[in-house]
Amino acid sequence: MRDLTLTDMERLGAFDEAERTFQMTEEAFRVFYELTARPVQVYLSRMTGDDRLADDLLQETYYKFLRSNATFDSDDHRKNYLFRIATNLVRDHQRRPRVEVAASPATQEGVASPADAHTAERAAARIDLARAMAHLKPRERSLLWLAYAQGWSHQEIATALGVKTASLKAMLFRARHRLAVILKNPGGRS
Amino acid sequence: MNSLECGHEDRVVRAVLSGTWPGEDPALAAHAEHCEICREVVEVAVVLRADHQLARHEVQVPVAGQVWWRCAVRARLESAQAATRPMTWLHGVTAAITIGLLLAGIGMAWPAIVEGAGWAREVVGPLASNAEVSVVVSGVLRQSVLIALAAAACLVVAPLLLYFVLSND
Repeated sequence: MRDLTLTDMERLGAFDEAERTFQMTEEAFRVFYELTARPVQVYLSRMTGDDRLADDLLQETYYKFLRSNATFDSDDHRKNYLFRIATNLVRDHQRRPRVEVAASPATQEGVASPADAHTAERAAARIDLARAMAHLKPRERSLLWLAYAQGWSHQEIATALGVKTASLKAMLFRARHRLAVILKNPGGRS
Repeated sequence: MNSLECGHEDRVVRAVLSGTWPGEDPALAAHAEHCEICREVVEVAVVLRADHQLARHEVQVPVAGQVWWRCAVRARLESAQAATRPMTWLHGVTAAITIGLLLAGIGMAWPAIVEGAGWAREVVGPLASNAEVSVVVSGVLRQSVLIALAAAACLVVAPLLLYFVLSND
Protein backbone atom coordinates (compact mmCIF):
# COMPACT_ATOMS: atom_id res chain seq x y z
CA MET A 1 0.00 0.00 0.00
CA ARG A 2 1.32 3.45 -0.91
CA ASP A 3 2.17 5.97 1.81
CA LEU A 4 -0.28 8.79 1.90
CA THR A 5 1.33 12.11 1.03
CA LEU A 6 -0.01 15.63 0.72
CA THR A 7 0.33 17.86 -2.31
CA ASP A 8 1.36 21.50 -1.89
CA MET A 9 -2.25 22.58 -2.34
CA GLU A 10 -3.37 20.17 0.37
CA ARG A 11 -0.67 21.54 2.65
CA LEU A 12 -2.00 25.05 2.12
CA GLY A 13 -5.48 23.75 2.88
CA ALA A 14 -4.13 22.15 6.05
CA PHE A 15 -3.23 25.60 7.31
CA ASP A 16 -6.86 26.75 7.16
CA GLU A 17 -8.17 23.46 8.46
CA ALA A 18 -5.86 23.60 11.49
CA GLU A 19 -7.80 26.52 12.93
CA ARG A 20 -10.85 24.27 13.10
CA THR A 21 -9.04 21.09 14.18
CA PHE A 22 -6.87 22.53 16.94
CA GLN A 23 -8.03 23.77 20.29
CA MET A 24 -6.62 27.28 19.82
CA THR A 25 -6.06 29.80 17.04
CA GLU A 26 -2.66 30.35 15.51
CA GLU A 27 -2.34 33.74 17.17
CA ALA A 28 -3.14 32.33 20.61
CA PHE A 29 -0.72 29.48 19.96
CA ARG A 30 2.09 31.91 19.13
CA VAL A 31 1.64 33.72 22.44
CA PHE A 32 1.46 30.45 24.40
CA TYR A 33 4.45 29.01 22.53
CA GLU A 34 6.64 32.05 23.19
CA LEU A 35 5.95 31.66 26.90
CA THR A 36 6.47 27.93 27.16
CA ALA A 37 8.73 26.64 24.38
CA ARG A 38 12.08 27.33 26.04
CA PRO A 39 11.21 25.86 29.45
CA VAL A 40 9.67 22.80 27.79
CA GLN A 41 12.67 22.33 25.50
CA VAL A 42 15.12 22.61 28.42
CA TYR A 43 12.98 20.24 30.48
CA LEU A 44 12.89 17.67 27.67
CA SER A 45 16.60 18.05 27.08
CA ARG A 46 17.42 17.47 30.74
CA MET A 47 14.96 14.59 31.14
CA THR A 48 16.22 12.72 28.07
CA GLY A 49 19.87 13.83 28.12
CA ASP A 50 19.65 14.18 24.34
CA ASP A 51 19.14 17.56 22.66
CA ARG A 52 18.12 16.14 19.29
CA LEU A 53 15.55 13.86 20.84
CA ALA A 54 14.30 16.85 22.85
CA ASP A 55 13.73 18.73 19.56
CA ASP A 56 11.55 15.90 18.26
CA LEU A 57 9.67 15.56 21.51
CA LEU A 58 9.04 19.31 21.62
CA GLN A 59 7.22 19.14 18.29
CA GLU A 60 5.33 16.05 19.44
CA THR A 61 4.38 17.73 22.72
CA TYR A 62 2.81 20.72 21.00
CA TYR A 63 1.07 18.51 18.46
CA LYS A 64 -0.56 16.42 21.16
CA PHE A 65 -1.42 19.56 23.05
CA LEU A 66 -3.13 21.16 20.04
CA ARG A 67 -5.05 17.97 19.23
CA SER A 68 -6.28 17.50 22.79
CA ASN A 69 -9.86 18.32 23.69
CA ALA A 70 -8.98 19.40 27.22
CA THR A 71 -10.40 22.62 28.64
CA PHE A 72 -8.33 24.86 30.86
CA ASP A 73 -9.23 27.08 33.79
CA SER A 74 -6.13 29.24 33.52
CA ASP A 75 -2.80 29.71 31.75
CA ASP A 76 -1.08 27.84 34.57
CA HIS A 77 -3.41 24.90 34.08
CA ARG A 78 -2.63 24.96 30.35
CA LYS A 79 1.11 25.07 31.07
CA ASN A 80 0.86 22.20 33.57
CA TYR A 81 -1.00 20.14 31.01
CA LEU A 82 1.72 20.81 28.44
CA PHE A 83 4.39 19.60 30.86
CA ARG A 84 2.30 16.55 31.61
CA ILE A 85 2.28 15.67 27.91
CA ALA A 86 6.03 16.23 27.76
CA THR A 87 6.58 14.03 30.82
CA ASN A 88 4.48 11.22 29.35
CA LEU A 89 6.32 11.42 26.05
CA VAL A 90 9.66 11.13 27.81
CA ARG A 91 8.35 8.18 29.82
CA ASP A 92 7.03 6.48 26.69
CA HIS A 93 10.34 7.01 24.96
CA GLN A 94 12.30 5.57 27.88
CA ARG A 95 10.10 2.48 27.92
CA ARG A 96 11.00 1.68 24.33
CA PRO A 97 14.09 -0.44 23.66
CA ARG A 98 16.84 1.87 22.49
CA VAL A 99 20.49 2.26 21.65
CA GLU A 100 22.42 3.84 24.49
CA VAL A 101 23.54 7.40 23.79
CA ALA A 102 26.75 8.33 25.53
CA ALA A 103 26.23 12.07 25.85
CA SER A 104 24.22 14.79 24.23
CA PRO A 105 25.80 16.66 21.29
CA ALA A 106 25.66 19.90 23.25
CA THR A 107 27.62 18.33 26.09
CA GLN A 108 30.21 16.95 23.72
CA GLU A 109 30.60 20.35 22.06
CA GLY A 110 31.11 21.93 25.45
CA VAL A 111 33.93 19.55 26.23
CA ALA A 112 35.53 19.76 22.81
CA SER A 113 36.00 23.50 22.56
CA PRO A 114 35.88 25.40 25.84
CA ALA A 115 36.55 28.98 24.82
CA ASP A 116 37.83 30.02 28.20
CA ALA A 117 38.15 28.86 31.80
CA HIS A 118 34.64 30.01 32.63
CA THR A 119 33.15 28.06 29.74
CA ALA A 120 35.13 24.99 30.73
CA GLU A 121 33.93 25.31 34.31
CA ARG A 122 30.31 25.63 33.19
CA ALA A 123 30.66 22.68 30.85
CA ALA A 124 32.16 20.57 33.64
CA ALA A 125 29.34 21.52 36.01
CA ARG A 126 26.82 20.65 33.36
CA ILE A 127 28.38 17.26 32.72
CA ASP A 128 28.50 16.54 36.46
CA LEU A 129 24.82 17.38 36.76
CA ALA A 130 23.91 15.36 33.66
CA ARG A 131 25.75 12.33 35.06
CA ALA A 132 24.16 12.75 38.46
CA MET A 133 20.69 13.09 36.92
CA ALA A 134 21.32 9.98 34.84
CA HIS A 135 21.57 7.98 38.08
CA LEU A 136 18.05 9.04 39.09
CA LYS A 137 14.76 7.53 38.04
CA PRO A 138 12.87 9.47 35.35
CA ARG A 139 10.20 10.56 37.81
CA GLU A 140 12.82 11.76 40.28
CA ARG A 141 14.44 13.84 37.55
CA SER A 142 11.11 15.42 36.67
CA LEU A 143 10.29 16.14 40.30
CA LEU A 144 13.60 17.81 41.03
CA TRP A 145 13.64 19.82 37.85
CA LEU A 146 10.14 21.18 38.25
CA ALA A 147 10.66 21.92 41.94
CA TYR A 148 14.14 23.42 41.97
CA ALA A 149 14.85 24.58 38.43
CA GLN A 150 11.41 25.90 37.56
CA GLY A 151 10.23 26.60 41.10
CA TRP A 152 6.83 25.00 40.79
CA SER A 153 4.61 24.44 43.80
CA HIS A 154 3.88 20.93 45.03
CA GLN A 155 0.35 21.24 43.71
CA GLU A 156 1.56 22.18 40.22
CA ILE A 157 4.08 19.35 40.17
CA ALA A 158 1.47 16.84 41.32
CA THR A 159 -0.86 17.96 38.52
CA ALA A 160 1.83 17.86 35.87
CA LEU A 161 3.20 14.46 36.86
CA GLY A 162 -0.11 12.88 37.77
CA VAL A 163 0.85 11.99 41.35
CA LYS A 164 -0.90 12.64 44.64
CA THR A 165 0.17 15.78 46.46
CA ALA A 166 0.30 13.82 49.72
CA SER A 167 2.97 11.43 48.45
CA LEU A 168 4.91 14.13 46.63
CA LYS A 169 6.81 15.40 49.67
CA ALA A 170 8.26 11.99 50.46
CA MET A 171 9.16 11.41 46.82
CA LEU A 172 10.78 14.81 46.56
CA PHE A 173 12.71 14.26 49.77
CA ARG A 174 14.12 10.94 48.56
CA ALA A 175 14.99 12.29 45.11
CA ARG A 176 16.68 15.39 46.56
CA HIS A 177 18.68 13.32 49.01
CA ARG A 178 19.87 10.97 46.28
CA LEU A 179 20.93 13.82 44.01
CA ALA A 180 22.71 15.62 46.85
CA VAL A 181 24.66 12.46 47.70
CA ILE A 182 25.61 11.85 44.05
CA LEU A 183 26.67 15.48 43.55
CA LYS A 184 28.92 15.27 46.62
CA ASN A 185 30.39 11.98 45.52
CA PRO A 186 30.28 11.91 41.70
CA GLY A 187 32.14 8.61 41.40
CA GLY A 188 29.93 6.64 43.77
CA ARG A 189 26.26 5.83 43.89
CA SER A 190 23.70 6.72 46.54
CA MET B 1 7.50 19.89 60.87
CA ASN B 2 8.68 16.31 60.40
CA SER B 3 11.84 14.58 59.19
CA LEU B 4 10.79 14.93 55.50
CA GLU B 5 10.32 18.67 55.42
CA CYS B 6 11.29 21.90 57.08
CA GLY B 7 9.06 24.93 57.54
CA HIS B 8 11.70 27.17 55.96
CA GLU B 9 12.08 25.05 52.86
CA ASP B 10 9.82 27.15 50.62
CA ARG B 11 11.57 30.38 51.59
CA VAL B 12 14.95 28.80 50.88
CA VAL B 13 13.80 27.63 47.45
CA ARG B 14 12.34 31.05 46.61
CA ALA B 15 15.56 32.78 47.69
CA VAL B 16 17.72 30.47 45.57
CA LEU B 17 15.48 30.73 42.50
CA SER B 18 15.23 34.51 42.74
CA GLY B 19 19.02 34.74 42.85
CA THR B 20 19.08 36.44 46.27
CA TRP B 21 20.61 33.51 48.13
CA PRO B 22 22.37 33.71 50.56
CA GLY B 23 22.80 37.48 50.99
CA GLU B 24 19.32 38.88 51.46
CA ASP B 25 18.29 36.93 54.54
CA PRO B 26 21.23 36.10 56.83
CA ALA B 27 18.94 34.47 59.39
CA LEU B 28 17.65 32.04 56.76
CA ALA B 29 21.19 31.33 55.57
CA ALA B 30 22.24 30.63 59.17
CA HIS B 31 19.29 28.27 59.57
CA ALA B 32 20.19 26.42 56.38
CA GLU B 33 23.70 25.81 57.66
CA HIS B 34 22.33 23.84 60.60
CA CYS B 35 19.22 22.30 59.01
CA GLU B 36 20.04 19.15 57.10
CA ILE B 37 16.95 19.41 54.89
CA CYS B 38 17.46 23.06 53.95
CA ARG B 39 21.15 22.43 53.32
CA GLU B 40 20.27 19.71 50.83
CA VAL B 41 17.65 21.94 49.26
CA VAL B 42 20.27 24.63 48.75
CA GLU B 43 22.84 22.20 47.34
CA VAL B 44 20.39 20.79 44.81
CA ALA B 45 18.52 24.00 43.97
CA VAL B 46 21.67 26.06 43.35
CA VAL B 47 23.00 23.50 40.86
CA LEU B 48 19.68 22.99 39.07
CA ARG B 49 18.91 26.71 38.90
CA ALA B 50 22.34 27.49 37.44
CA ASP B 51 21.88 24.80 34.82
CA HIS B 52 18.38 26.01 34.04
CA GLN B 53 19.44 29.64 33.66
CA LEU B 54 22.29 28.69 31.36
CA ALA B 55 20.21 26.30 29.30
CA ARG B 56 17.37 28.78 28.86
CA HIS B 57 19.75 31.22 27.22
CA GLU B 58 21.54 28.64 25.13
CA VAL B 59 18.61 26.59 23.93
CA GLN B 60 17.33 27.10 20.41
CA VAL B 61 13.69 26.45 19.68
CA PRO B 62 11.96 26.55 16.30
CA VAL B 63 9.75 29.57 15.65
CA ALA B 64 6.08 29.25 16.58
CA GLY B 65 4.93 29.45 12.95
CA GLN B 66 7.09 26.50 11.98
CA VAL B 67 5.76 24.33 14.80
CA TRP B 68 2.19 25.36 13.96
CA TRP B 69 2.75 24.56 10.29
CA ARG B 70 4.15 21.10 11.01
CA CYS B 71 1.28 20.35 13.37
CA ALA B 72 -1.24 21.50 10.74
CA VAL B 73 0.28 19.34 8.01
CA ARG B 74 0.45 16.34 10.30
CA ALA B 75 -3.16 16.79 11.39
CA ARG B 76 -4.24 16.97 7.75
CA LEU B 77 -2.24 13.84 6.91
CA GLU B 78 -3.72 11.90 9.81
CA SER B 79 -7.22 13.01 8.83
CA ALA B 80 -6.59 11.84 5.27
CA GLN B 81 -5.31 8.49 6.52
CA ALA B 82 -8.32 8.10 8.78
CA ALA B 83 -10.60 8.92 5.87
CA THR B 84 -9.07 6.29 3.59
CA ARG B 85 -9.25 3.55 6.21
CA PRO B 86 -12.97 2.75 5.66
CA MET B 87 -12.39 2.66 1.89
CA THR B 88 -9.67 0.05 2.31
CA TRP B 89 -12.02 -2.03 4.44
CA LEU B 90 -14.79 -1.58 1.89
CA HIS B 91 -12.52 -2.82 -0.90
CA GLY B 92 -11.63 -5.91 1.10
CA VAL B 93 -15.24 -6.68 1.93
CA THR B 94 -16.29 -6.15 -1.70
CA ALA B 95 -13.60 -8.51 -2.95
CA ALA B 96 -14.60 -11.16 -0.40
CA ILE B 97 -18.29 -10.87 -1.33
CA THR B 98 -17.49 -11.09 -5.07
CA ILE B 99 -15.39 -14.23 -4.61
CA GLY B 100 -18.08 -15.75 -2.41
CA LEU B 101 -20.83 -15.02 -4.94
CA LEU B 102 -18.70 -16.40 -7.75
CA LEU B 103 -18.05 -19.64 -5.89
CA ALA B 104 -21.72 -19.92 -4.92
CA GLY B 105 -22.75 -19.34 -8.56
CA ILE B 106 -20.35 -22.00 -9.78
CA GLY B 107 -21.58 -24.39 -7.11
CA MET B 108 -25.21 -23.85 -8.08
CA ALA B 109 -24.54 -24.10 -11.81
CA TRP B 110 -22.23 -27.13 -11.55
CA PRO B 111 -24.89 -29.82 -12.34
CA ALA B 112 -26.00 -27.82 -15.38
CA ILE B 113 -22.39 -27.44 -16.54
CA VAL B 114 -21.80 -31.19 -16.24
CA GLU B 115 -25.06 -31.87 -18.08
CA GLY B 116 -24.17 -29.35 -20.83
CA ALA B 117 -20.71 -30.88 -21.26
CA GLY B 118 -22.30 -34.32 -21.72
CA TRP B 119 -24.74 -32.95 -24.30
CA ALA B 120 -21.93 -31.18 -26.18
CA ARG B 121 -19.91 -34.38 -26.28
CA GLU B 122 -22.88 -36.17 -27.84
CA VAL B 123 -23.42 -33.45 -30.49
CA VAL B 124 -19.80 -32.60 -31.30
CA GLY B 125 -18.56 -36.21 -31.32
CA PRO B 126 -20.28 -37.23 -34.60
CA LEU B 127 -19.45 -33.88 -36.23
CA ALA B 128 -15.76 -34.15 -35.38
CA SER B 129 -15.53 -37.33 -37.39
CA ASN B 130 -16.54 -35.33 -40.48
CA ALA B 131 -13.35 -33.85 -42.08
CA GLU B 132 -14.92 -30.67 -43.58
CA VAL B 133 -16.69 -29.75 -40.39
CA SER B 134 -13.56 -30.26 -38.32
CA VAL B 135 -11.51 -27.92 -40.61
CA VAL B 136 -14.13 -25.16 -40.26
CA VAL B 137 -14.41 -25.67 -36.51
CA SER B 138 -10.63 -25.62 -35.97
CA GLY B 139 -10.35 -22.35 -38.01
CA VAL B 140 -13.07 -20.69 -35.94
CA LEU B 141 -11.49 -21.99 -32.72
CA ARG B 142 -8.07 -20.61 -33.71
CA GLN B 143 -9.59 -17.15 -34.26
CA SER B 144 -11.54 -17.41 -31.01
CA VAL B 145 -8.38 -18.27 -29.07
CA LEU B 146 -6.60 -15.21 -30.47
CA ILE B 147 -9.56 -12.97 -29.56
CA ALA B 148 -9.73 -14.52 -26.11
CA LEU B 149 -5.99 -13.97 -25.55
CA ALA B 150 -6.29 -10.31 -26.63
CA ALA B 151 -9.26 -9.80 -24.32
CA ALA B 152 -7.42 -11.40 -21.41
CA ALA B 153 -4.38 -9.21 -22.04
CA CYS B 154 -6.61 -6.11 -22.02
CA LEU B 155 -8.19 -7.22 -18.78
CA VAL B 156 -4.79 -7.56 -17.13
CA VAL B 157 -3.06 -4.57 -18.70
CA ALA B 158 -5.90 -2.02 -18.49
CA PRO B 159 -6.14 -1.91 -14.67
CA LEU B 160 -2.35 -1.69 -14.43
CA LEU B 161 -2.25 1.19 -16.90
CA LEU B 162 -5.05 2.94 -15.06
CA TYR B 163 -3.23 2.49 -11.76
CA PHE B 164 0.03 3.98 -13.00
CA VAL B 165 -1.70 6.90 -14.74
CA LEU B 166 -3.90 7.78 -11.77
CA SER B 167 -1.23 7.22 -9.12
CA ASN B 168 0.59 10.32 -10.37
CA ASP B 169 -2.39 12.42 -9.30
